[in-house]
Amino acid sequence: FPRREFSMTIEPTPGNEVYIRYQSFLSQEELTSAIMKRRPTKIDIGAVFNYPPKDNKSLPSGKLQTQERELVFDIDLTDYDGVRNCGCEGAKICPRCWTFMGMAMEVMDEGLRQDFGFEHVAWFYSGRRGVHCWVCDDGARKLTNEARSAVATYFEVNLGSDKNKGFRLSSPLHPMLSRAYKILDPQFAACVLPEEGHGLLATPASWTKLLLTLPEAALSVAKKMGERWGSTKDRSTPQEKWRELKAALMSFIGKGSNAKKVPKTLSNTDRIRIEQWPVETVFKYTYPRLDINVSKMQNHLLKSPFCVHPKTGRVCVPIEVDDFQTFDPFRVPTLAQLMRELDEYEVERGDKDEAVAYDWQKTSLKEPFEQFQKKFLVPLMNEERRMQREERERKAAIVGDF
Amino acid sequence: NNVNPPRPIGIHSQNSASIQIQTTKLIAQLLATSPRASQAEARPTQQNTMNVAGPARSRPAPLSDGKKRRGHADYGVGGRADAADVDMYSDVPFFELSLDEFEEYALARLKVLRKIEEMKTRNLPHETFRTQLDASIKANLVVSASPDSKRKFDLIESKKLDVASHFILRAAYCRSEDLRRWFLTQECHLFRHRLETAASGNDGALRDFLARNEFDLDRVSRSEKERLRDKLLSVPGAPNPVEYGSAEYYRVPFVQALRLVSRRECYVERGNAYVPLARIVSIVEAKFRLSLSKSLTSAAGVFGQVAHDEAARIGPLLQSMNTQHTGPGAPNAVLGADGEALLTAANVDDLAKQSMPLCMQQLHVGLKRDHKLKHQGRLQYGLFVKGAGMSLEEHTLFFQREFTKIMTGEQFNKGYSYSIRHMHGKEGKRANYTPYSCMKIIHGNPPQSAAEHHGCPYKHYDDSNLSALLTKLNIGNSGERDAIMAHKRDGNFQLACAKHFEVMHPGAAGVEGVKLD
Repeated sequence: FPRREFSMTIEPTPGNEVYIRYQSFLSQEELTSAIMKRRPTKIDIGAVFNYPPKDNKSLPSGKLQTQERELVFDIDLTDYDGVRNCGCEGAKICPRCWTFMGMAMEVMDEGLRQDFGFEHVAWFYSGRRGVHCWVCDDGARKLTNEARSAVATYFEVNLGSDKNKGFRLSSPLHPMLSRAYKILDPQFAACVLPEEGHGLLATPASWTKLLLTLPEAALSVAKKMGERWGSTKDRSTPQEKWRELKAALMSFIGKGSNAKKVPKTLSNTDRIRIEQWPVETVFKYTYPRLDINVSKMQNHLLKSPFCVHPKTGRVCVPIEVDDFQTFDPFRVPTLAQLMRELDEYEVERGDKDEAVAYDWQKTSLKEPFEQFQKKFLVPLMNEERRMQREERERKAAIVGDF
Repeated sequence: NNVNPPRPIGIHSQNSASIQIQTTKLIAQLLATSPRASQAEARPTQQNTMNVAGPARSRPAPLSDGKKRRGHADYGVGGRADAADVDMYSDVPFFELSLDEFEEYALARLKVLRKIEEMKTRNLPHETFRTQLDASIKANLVVSASPDSKRKFDLIESKKLDVASHFILRAAYCRSEDLRRWFLTQECHLFRHRLETAASGNDGALRDFLARNEFDLDRVSRSEKERLRDKLLSVPGAPNPVEYGSAEYYRVPFVQALRLVSRRECYVERGNAYVPLARIVSIVEAKFRLSLSKSLTSAAGVFGQVAHDEAARIGPLLQSMNTQHTGPGAPNAVLGADGEALLTAANVDDLAKQSMPLCMQQLHVGLKRDHKLKHQGRLQYGLFVKGAGMSLEEHTLFFQREFTKIMTGEQFNKGYSYSIRHMHGKEGKRANYTPYSCMKIIHGNPPQSAAEHHGCPYKHYDDSNLSALLTKLNIGNSGERDAIMAHKRDGNFQLACAKHFEVMHPGAAGVEGVKLD
């Protein structure tokens, strides 16, 4: 702990932000009193160094080096501006675009656990428009910058910019991408296509636009769908339309249960493009958009969990991936709310309740934190203890000291 | 700094203390030299006491009926390298060499490494690179067998040459960061080439190599391969379904296959990467690089002591190794009509120190240090080397090699190669620019900042700087240096320069036709 870097942003006068790095503390008490003294608007956590970071100035330059640091990821809704159709952009969010976060989290969480074998993966609301991920396994903490970069790049899919037409996926898909597609496709259908989502298949105008993105070779399919959906008899939902479209494409290239004969003029390249089009489309909207720079370096400072976002007042609470549906960023405890709750507690119960050791237990932070403690902190602590015990036993075995 | 590096997985682990000891032991062993005269009788002992790094592969059975024994390389047609050719050089060898052999072996390898560097600067296509490298190895690092042997090459002697030369050069190139980096780069290219050769053969050479070097690779069992069949086949570069059954896969911790992981070129599960045999090459090379890099850094720590102890014998040789001229016999030399080598990118370093006037030497040093020259510098030095006989190609190669240390090849081509061509009269009005005369250099634009190295040092440097420079370069004795300084103070810059030449070339006054004034 004493070698962990903290940084604080304080605002001594309004509008005047001062950023203080290389803070470190010997104990929790010291950290607490520093926070109370300085009243920072932002608190970030950095890496564990080889010396206490606060001794930075007294060490020869280059001597202070990072030793370990959790593997972290940062996903921001701002990066989805190009595909958000709910009217939000920049720092603004709404329930309709918030769903993208859940999708991104699920893909990343699954990948981190299944592919890399990480177990202690914690997600937090960033307080305004995104989520942060902290991977706290011992192996993750010890990863070199190069390894972090590799892991982040492994997940990264270059989705193309707004200017260029997009991107191409090769066939076959890497298993990680196939899995991501399996996860994202249903959510894409449920959250992006309908009117209540981002309306991709909700209106004639929008579906015409989407059909235009089909590869030229599939023009006939596009036309057929356009006609079918345009007819007054059609009552299909956006999800149904999507299913229809995918089926039509598959049979067009000769796959699937209703496969017709493949047109002779269909080149292999075209086949692949058509086959991948649904995946590309789904990915374009829903695939996680990571900020790679956050993950690459051990010394990158990231907002601390459970701190308060200066612009929104919301607390950066943990988010359960499994429980994402019930998480509402708009109902996250805010600073003002917590203060109020503390006051109310005082009034109602006074200061005498001994079962309550911590102030947070008196507020709406109680449940999120207890959940977090149970699901994450305790297993992590047990793991640490187990590793230390094993290390001790190993050393004892060497020395012959049983 | 005795922090033990974490045990390199799969490589013979050597903590830094043992490497230090080993390196000293190396020097010690190599010092058990026999004088040249008894080289002949020393030979048999050498063979007996040899303990080559990496167990020697058991000799293949003699060919019978002229049929090639399947799975073994034959040094006849084809010339495929034997598996024993790929070496991690993890164990310090233990045999005796004469001083001559010491130097000979080192230079032989140096030729190959320099050839690699040159080829890389030329950006050759991969196949050409490999063919030419094979040729260079064959010419320098392989020992012909005695005439009565069935084989064309003497495997044991070649192996000894290869290993010894590696360690000698390791000792010579450990002492500075630049040297270490250079050595590491070229050795990795060489290693990778040999690994690729081993991997591409069907004779299990790569597999043997991996087994011998205890790589921490788990071979993926048949059942697991079946379980992962669809997944492994979906990865770029996977074998086709028919070949899948016989393809070998290995499971490594993902941190050992970072390049593959980051490009999604392998399947990753529970923290392990599943890599086909062919892709293992990248991973192995990375390990080699890491281990060599560590060894070099450790060796650097003892170098000072060793050089001091060996001041009489191999110390000076090690110190000067990187400036050794690898000869006009080197393939990249351009021979003039009378057979004498012209000025080339390869020999310009040596000649700069030895034969160039001080102004050009300073430009050369500046170029090597900054990896570029400013406009005046490029003109003055460029025209000079052109006048001294450097061809357009060599000039471009030389500058490109330096400049691309701080910029990309493209940037160099865009910004600088046109003007080099212009200097050689190949562009624009195709004028044949003559090199600058002393008058022009002395009276022309003086250097304006520390980043500029053109001009005449005798004119443009102040007394103390010039004096310090002369001392540092060991120009003659102090009396001679005073004489030069005196000329400078009198404003006779060209006399100062002439004196410098006289000091550097003591026999010059006696050569007919050379006038020193």
